[in-house]
Amino acid sequence: MKGNIIKYARDNIDTDVIIPGQYLKVHDYAELATHAMEGLDPDFHSKVKEGDFILSGKNFGCGSSREHAPIALSHCGVKAILALSFARIFYRNSVDGAFLLPIEIDQDAYDGISEGDEIDIDVSKNEIKNITKNQTYKMKPFSEIIGKIIAAGGLFKYKPDQD
Amino acid sequence: MGKTLFEKIWESHIVVTKQNEPDLIYIDRHLVHEVTSPQAFDGLRMNNRKVRRPDLTIATMDHNVPTSDRSLPILDQTSAVQIKTLETNCKDFGIKLFDINSPNQGIVHVIGPQLGITLPGSTIVCGDSHTSTHGAFGALALGIGTSEVEHVLASQTLWLEKPKTFEVRVEGKRSNPHAVTAKDIILSIIKNIGTAGGTGTVIEYRGEGINDLSMDERMTICNMSIEGGARAGLIAPDQKTFDYLQDREYTPKNYESLVDSWKDTLKTDSDATFDKQFILDINDIAPQVSWGTNPGMTCDVDEPIPSPDEYSNGDANQKKGAEKALEYMDLKSGTMIEDIKIDRVFIGSCTNARLEDLIEASKIIQGQKVTSSVNAMVVPGSQMVKRQAEEMGLDKIFIDANFEWREAGCSMCLGMNPDILSPGERCASTSNRNFEGRQGNGGRTHLVSPVMAAAAAINGHFVDVRKLDLN
Repeated sequence: MKGNIIKYARDNIDTDVIIPGQYLKVHDYAELATHAMEGLDPDFHSKVKEGDFILSGKNFGCGSSREHAPIALSHCGVKAILALSFARIFYRNSVDGAFLLPIEIDQDAYDGISEGDEIDIDVSKNEIKNITKNQTYKMKPFSEIIGKIIAAGGLFKYKPDQD
Repeated sequence: MGKTLFEKIWESHIVVTKQNEPDLIYIDRHLVHEVTSPQAFDGLRMNNRKVRRPDLTIATMDHNVPTSDRSLPILDQTSAVQIKTLETNCKDFGIKLFDINSPNQGIVHVIGPQLGITLPGSTIVCGDSHTSTHGAFGALALGIGTSEVEHVLASQTLWLEKPKTFEVRVEGKRSNPHAVTAKDIILSIIKNIGTAGGTGTVIEYRGEGINDLSMDERMTICNMSIEGGARAGLIAPDQKTFDYLQDREYTPKNYESLVDSWKDTLKTDSDATFDKQFILDINDIAPQVSWGTNPGMTCDVDEPIPSPDEYSNGDANQKKGAEKALEYMDLKSGTMIEDIKIDRVFIGSCTNARLEDLIEASKIIQGQKVTSSVNAMVVPGSQMVKRQAEEMGLDKIFIDANFEWREAGCSMCLGMNPDILSPGERCASTSNRNFEGRQGNGGRTHLVSPVMAAAAAINGHFVDVRKLDLN
């Protein structure tokens, strides 16, 4: 999975800045997407492209349980969030609705990857390639459970192994 | 080896367990509100599914509702639609709804315990991160997203990864419990463990400092567990818990025998171990005031705002976060907290809008007036809290002091109903989140206790309430 990076070099990007409360009444996902990241970066909607990845620091998605947060980002075309760590409800919401991939990275990847870099994520090898800089980093593997929900295509398609 | 309270509740709710698979956990109570449920009900309709246990599902409307005159129509059309949609969904699927005109309407985390819906040892979910509040009764209470809401509506179960355990031990006694409140204890905990300190864990709050708290105070503590990143927070039930739930509207008929079984089982064994531990001594803690844009950015009321270097301890992102926070908050390091002037005061939210919160705040303002430059409001957490407060004459104390006395709802906690800050306005708020824009675009939030908020309303700036006579 290839895409370009939009980097927010900070911790604690919360769901209120990902999608401010006043838009939680919006039912149309395309319209919701136009307000993604509005609380943090008013230019986000004009710069984001289909297939982009967001890179950020620790505790991404902290705060509210609003599934509107991963929905708004995915309907802008964002396919993955690469972060040093995630808040748990955001993490599960991303996976449950098969909206986007929450990928935990290490400090090397965080420091090495810059705004605009072209990245290739290979989940099967737990590897992130920085095509722009010709570097390779490790991603933290998904837990077996999360990996299965992702592979199934979301919570409603998941069935435990029958044996 | 012994088990923790969390492990006991978890194990007693497992429907399916297999190695390297999530556990399928049975859910005893599902609380529903208007914002995170519409897509879940749409999903049920699309797949021709019913609500599996409408009798275990309870709904109310709190996030969107105006807190002004309830006899007037709702002006915001999108809010009106979301509220109407919940009414339709509850009717279509046979779910009990406390609607905007119900005497039981209120913030979902205030009404659950008040109605006896929240029970010790049970599993409770709601599409709201502050569901952790119900942990004060020894329930495992989890905030979930809308996909999971749909899953629980359809199956009364959830696939969950078992969280780790985290003991937060609160030792000591507060010398002045009217000035140093449960809010100050939980803000101190978050200041120390950080906003991600509890990630992937369920916190059990224990120790003398927790045992001494009332149920209203314990709810304030558990409410903000999510602000420390935890999946949930809980407190083992004791006689205070059992007394609180006695004779509530929905308390089960066999309550006495339930209490007998809870007394034997709902506690952490003496030889149980936790994955993580933090100890807070509260003998000398001060009232807390947040200065930044997350709840961990908090200091004592008699301290200056720290510099980004002091705050960050050498962590580059933390430093940058503090710099950005100070810029957003229009504050400078070194400024004494008591010198910060405020424009608005909000006493409300699922954190601090229960009867005891209002009683304590009213003691501060009795016979005084909100200073002329400040606009102050009280929003009771439920219609029941409002009625109880009015029976005690608290409404008169607040109104005489020029506070607005409002109808129940989430109000100015989250900027999605008419109660919002204007850009640049600075608010002393008893809510739970000081994120950028949380209370309205450009609004600046300082998290404090109800007594600290009340004192700030009278004085126009923060005041160390330990200096006031509160007994």
